[in-house]
Amino acid sequence: MIRKTIKIVNKLGMHARPATMIVKAATKYRSEFKIVKSDMEINGKSIMGVMTLAAEFGSELELVADGVDEEFLIKEITEMFANKFGED
Amino acid sequence: MKKIKGNSVSAGIAIGKAKIIDKHELYIERKKILKREIEFELSRFKEDVEFVINELDKLIQDYTYSQENRDILESHKMILQDPEFNNRISKLISNDQNSLEQAINTYFTEAADIFSNMNNKYLSHRVIDFEDVAYRLLSHIMDERKDVLENVDENSILIMENISPSFVTKVFDKNIQGLCTERGSSNSHSSIIARSMNLPMLVNALGLLGNIKDGEDMIIDGNDGYVIISPTKKVLEKYQTIYKEEQKDRKGLLKLIDVEPITKDGKKIKLMSNIEIPQEIDQVLKYNSAGIGLFRTEFLFIDRDDLPTEEEQYEIYKDIAEQCKPNSVIIRTIDVGGDKLSNILNITYEENPNLGCRGIRISLQNIPIFKQQIKAILRANVQGNIKIMFPMISGVNELLKVKEIIEICSKELINTGIAFNADMELGAMIEIPSAVITSDSIVDECDFLSIGTNDLIQYTLAVDRDNQSISNYYKPTHPSVIRSIKLTVDNAHKVGKKVAVCGEMASEKEYVKLLLALGVDELSVSPGRLLLIKKEIINCNITEIKSKLDKILSCKTSKEVMKLI
Repeated sequence: MIRKTIKIVNKLGMHARPATMIVKAATKYRSEFKIVKSDMEINGKSIMGVMTLAAEFGSELELVADGVDEEFLIKEITEMFANKFGED
Repeated sequence: MKKIKGNSVSAGIAIGKAKIIDKHELYIERKKILKREIEFELSRFKEDVEFVINELDKLIQDYTYSQENRDILESHKMILQDPEFNNRISKLISNDQNSLEQAINTYFTEAADIFSNMNNKYLSHRVIDFEDVAYRLLSHIMDERKDVLENVDENSILIMENISPSFVTKVFDKNIQGLCTERGSSNSHSSIIARSMNLPMLVNALGLLGNIKDGEDMIIDGNDGYVIISPTKKVLEKYQTIYKEEQKDRKGLLKLIDVEPITKDGKKIKLMSNIEIPQEIDQVLKYNSAGIGLFRTEFLFIDRDDLPTEEEQYEIYKDIAEQCKPNSVIIRTIDVGGDKLSNILNITYEENPNLGCRGIRISLQNIPIFKQQIKAILRANVQGNIKIMFPMISGVNELLKVKEIIEICSKELINTGIAFNADMELGAMIEIPSAVITSDSIVDECDFLSIGTNDLIQYTLAVDRDNQSISNYYKPTHPSVIRSIKLTVDNAHKVGKKVAVCGEMASEKEYVKLLLALGVDELSVSPGRLLLIKKEIINCNITEIKSKLDKILSCKTSKEVMKLI
């Protein structure tokens, strides 16, 4: 299992488009994927879950992946956050 | 008889029978199932979801619309493929013995609750996506897709909690009397369309759904903003009289569709339309408008959480220009206050937004966004009937900067080899007193002027017209406003250029004569008012009112002016 803390650096926060991107990417992998925000934990492969995080600019999230391809999953998702989901 | 207050977003009286369109519960009759039905219900779920996903796939591929619309459909598909959605529905069916319809309804009601409790309004707004998906799925399952509106007869007034974008066009294709929603706002797309169709519509009628039954007699008073349920005979008769008069007036106006807007003394006035969203083009064409005098582009930028691409804008501008041909379309670059864009632009809090970063100032501070819009317009103008105009011009400087940017955009387009046409008339909006005073210099740097009376009045008289306590200071015929219009027109005419009025003053029939006497060449009004204003033009004798112009211009108060016109 891998845990990784990341920060939301795109200005608009987790709106519909990034949420769609995350779920699309995560679904490609076999590992389980969860996102934790303070005391809330959601399924990272669920669009409903990711959108209900209502994560805004500056907030911290913990990515948790568990399974055979966990490192690849975490790597791809971390890069998406760092690249601000192609915004700017 | 019950009377409920609402906000009128489109005037007029509607009398008919209530037709409640409820996207969820109305069609769910069977709520619980038997244990032995669980298996069957689960297989239905799988098949129905697959069917709707296939349907969405087709739409995503066929869609000739924008990337944004495709993205929305893509996210709708994802909602249906969501593992949590799958789990929850399966559990509701297996454990709670919910029927499929009931399970779906429960799931989406829960989703709606979560979203409406969010603090971030841009995220909470996405509840509309979940409602759209729920509707699509339920209407497939119940095969009600066509029937929902097929059973609506002409005598109906539609009652809904809110009206979602995918429902709007379907509703307006039907010949109904009026529309009333429990939620909604005056600047929603449905309200705008209702206005341009002159269809009475009321929003924000709180408690409506709890107080009305399907088929009940009702009245929408779109003039005073009331819904009246089961009116007494006396009230009904009163409204029938008003309704008949309104219908008579409307019929009279419709006869003017093919009549030219020529005054009694033979001057032809160019009468155009203002549009806020592309869908209004149907009304523009129906009423035979001489093109579009103000195409607002704000709808592309507000109420969304990302920016429109150049491509998306290009498609929309091109489509409108094509439909308007051979008439011209004047596209106005984005004109909003920074507060409305704070979700997509980095805008700091402003103490005084009306005097802050808005209109052309936003564009000049966000050059990449401005350039996208300019390029989209230049590309759409390949057909040659587009003009461009800029809001909140305070002096020559902004125009010079804008021209520089257009130059740069043209060069960049040449380099990329994309087709465009920079042969396009440029206009400045005159709505700030400094622009009025220096309109002689401004008109030298552009091809036409367009007076935005709402802001001109607000800035000239220093009065916020939405501020109830001082609304008596908002006077369109204040001598300062009239003299400002006169000065602007004179300065433009000196160099042979034209002046239009696209503000609300042009849409109010009592001011038409005055504007024409002041020398205004063109009027642009909302599509729903076009025929009314045309009638006013036809009945106007400019020579006659011009003979009083000196007197009007020397009036000391707006009251004196009103007496003369």
